[in-house]
Amino acid sequence: MSTADQDAGFIAEALPAFISEAQEQSMMLEQLLLQLEDAPDDGELLGALFRCAHTIKGSAGMFGLDKVVAFTHHVETLLDRLRDGQMRLSPALSTLLLRCNDQIRLLVAAAGDPLASTEESAAEREALVEALRDASGSEPAGAATTPDNAARESTATGMPCSTAGSGPWQLSVQFGADTFRNGMDPLAVLSYVASLGTIVNLVSEAEDIPDLEQLDPENCHWRFEFALQTAASAETIEAAFSFVRDDCTLELVPPHVLRPDVLDLIDALPDNTRLGEILVTVGAVQPAQLAEALAAQADASNGRPAQLGELLQERAGVEPQVISAALRKQQKLRESAAHTIGDDSRYIRVQADRLDAVINLLGELVIAGAGAALLARQTRQGSLIEASEQVGHLIEEIRNGTLQLRMVPIGETFSRFRRVVRDTAGELGKEVHLEVLGGDTELDKSMVERIADPLMHLVRNALDHGLEQPVERMAAGKPAEGRLTLAACHEAGSILIRILDDGRGIQRERVLARARERGLVEPGVTPPDDEILQLIFEPGFSTAERVTNLSGRGVGMDVVRRNIEALRGTVSISSEPGQGSSIEIRLPLTLAIIDGFLVGVGSSKFILPLDAVVEVIENRPSLSRIDARGRRVVELRGQVLPVVSLRALYALDSPELERSSVVVIKAGTRRYGVLVDQLLGQHQTVIKPLGRLLGSLRGMSGSTILGNGEVALIFDVNALGDLAATGTASAEPQGVTSLSRSGAAHV
Amino acid sequence: MTATLTLPAELTIYSVTQLRTAWLDALLERRQSAAAGTALLSIDAAAVDEVDAAGVQLLVALAKSLRADGTSLELRNASGPLSQACQRLGVCALLGAAAPAGKQA
Repeated sequence: MSTADQDAGFIAEALPAFISEAQEQSMMLEQLLLQLEDAPDDGELLGALFRCAHTIKGSAGMFGLDKVVAFTHHVETLLDRLRDGQMRLSPALSTLLLRCNDQIRLLVAAAGDPLASTEESAAEREALVEALRDASGSEPAGAATTPDNAARESTATGMPCSTAGSGPWQLSVQFGADTFRNGMDPLAVLSYVASLGTIVNLVSEAEDIPDLEQLDPENCHWRFEFALQTAASAETIEAAFSFVRDDCTLELVPPHVLRPDVLDLIDALPDNTRLGEILVTVGAVQPAQLAEALAAQADASNGRPAQLGELLQERAGVEPQVISAALRKQQKLRESAAHTIGDDSRYIRVQADRLDAVINLLGELVIAGAGAALLARQTRQGSLIEASEQVGHLIEEIRNGTLQLRMVPIGETFSRFRRVVRDTAGELGKEVHLEVLGGDTELDKSMVERIADPLMHLVRNALDHGLEQPVERMAAGKPAEGRLTLAACHEAGSILIRILDDGRGIQRERVLARARERGLVEPGVTPPDDEILQLIFEPGFSTAERVTNLSGRGVGMDVVRRNIEALRGTVSISSEPGQGSSIEIRLPLTLAIIDGFLVGVGSSKFILPLDAVVEVIENRPSLSRIDARGRRVVELRGQVLPVVSLRALYALDSPELERSSVVVIKAGTRRYGVLVDQLLGQHQTVIKPLGRLLGSLRGMSGSTILGNGEVALIFDVNALGDLAATGTASAEPQGVTSLSRSGAAHV
Repeated sequence: MTATLTLPAELTIYSVTQLRTAWLDALLERRQSAAAGTALLSIDAAAVDEVDAAGVQLLVALAKSLRADGTSLELRNASGPLSQACQRLGVCALLGAAAPAGKQA
């Protein structure tokens, strides 16, 4: 009774971990399926696909989630056939599997919620199972979920092993007494074995069968010895006996000749990170021997922990050089493991809020550290200054390391869109090819999470409004298949995400007409071209002629912009009619801490992101005068550099100094200078949001607290660049008030 | 009791218990009857339609018992399924055409 309670307790405890893991597996399954659409014959992907489903089924079985097991089993059967090359992954099959995967996810989610009912989807599941059966051509017998079957699947890795077939395998098998009672028939087993190759010299030890008087006819007494000429691997052969594995004794002696082959084989193996698996796959060890050795290893772990290799050498007679070749291979795989998909090793799950707590503390530490360093400098004691500097260095390293913990490649988010693109395109009857560039670009996790929704909307928008129907595209002389590109790259301390399509582009007249209709633009005023396009980000703007499911509710683009701006990012759109559109999103790499460059103007302090600072030049007397908005130009190595004076721009009340500096900033593709009085050096900057009062201040992205308690404003270099570069065409009123929104709609 | 047994259509795990009882009776009868001295027992196997390893095992056991009596077993007209099964299980020598050449008393 108490053990049952313990079990229940354990299950309840472990269930959330199972669910999150199963969800991840299911996610990976989806990604693999989508990847396979481009490469339907990729054996590795097919293998990984099978393993995903198998893992879900296996762990669901441990938790007694029968519905998940039963359903996933059918999926797994089909995947197994795909993996063995008995079938090919067609688009229709892919769609079916994706839908099945949705069901798996649903079932797994329901497992975590005792109130959830999966009844309403039961009919759909049944239909899917039916479709799976039709597809895989398997008989509808439910008996397939026996543990035997699972065992067989778990030993198979689906790797065709063709090289071991140089000689015959020697098999000796003794069927257990209960074989018949368990519904197994040695005759069928032998027939199956015969299908793997040619059975030669079969000797049945009929002596073991007693005479009729002694015989219990339901006891099985068969024992066979034979040679099998086959190209199949040890695993495949052994798998033939898996249904009777529990009550039969099987000895499998591999062909003698294969030592040198085995070494080659190990090197040629695609993926397997376990020593045992490697050895089993090449046929050097049989699964049963491996299991025995593993058990022995577990037993011995109290005393001297034995190496698996040694044990195998000892017990299974595997030669040392084979083991060392396998170990080498394993080492290599471990090194490359970080890059392979379907790799489940070496991660620690950490709750995001714990990490956030650490980062918050780190922010405080950085500020406190800066304060301490300042005090140390004021004492003018060399050793104290040195010590505090060292502390500062360490803090910086910890900061970098900790922030790195939160960095995830944006590719994960991008690949989520594959499904969206696929389904949406199908729904709209369009043909779309999604291209992902720079998926390994890293970004703070919280950013990734918060950018996913805006991105989703933009992608849908591009699919719905941007790309045309195939007929329309052909008529325009474009390939029927539209292209949608998601690209990411790092640029000057921020990340640039682009969504490109080669669709019809945005018609400026329609945008303008709609903007007038909605009162976003005064009648009679025609803003410049590129400003017209930005109008689509205005609240309440939608050009869709009819409202579709996907987009066109008119709540989209302005929300997108608001979300991105909330991340201290910017969004802009450019478009060539008939050629397509490009939406660029710029985001800071992290929300928390940056390397800053501290500058002073009068008594005010400002932070420029250090990544954006290219160089600092002396402010030379120049012929050009500072205009009303604090702008002028200087010559830098033969090129014109626009310079913005912070004093004039923000109307700072302090006399201009004779000596001042120009900090050259690179923001995106632009360069510009910022005129400042003092250069105060590098500063680790913990970003705090601007208060509501200053929230609309343009050119700023946040504030920070300096070591001495002063507040410094942090510049948003892109926005500041807009100020420096804004053409003379728009005569906006001067001063800070004009900087609230660059939205052309206010013109 | 004649020297001929007839195999049923189904020679499988489902029928072996019943068959064994019948065959034991037949053996007993045979031992008591005049046929005991016959060196050959012919079994008509034409009807066998379904067969599994349990069924073949029963035949082997029968042959063994007969051998103890100094009698050989001969399968006649073995049907396709039966001869295939015997071949697969490596017992065609015991049950098949070689039987007439078996031991004689």
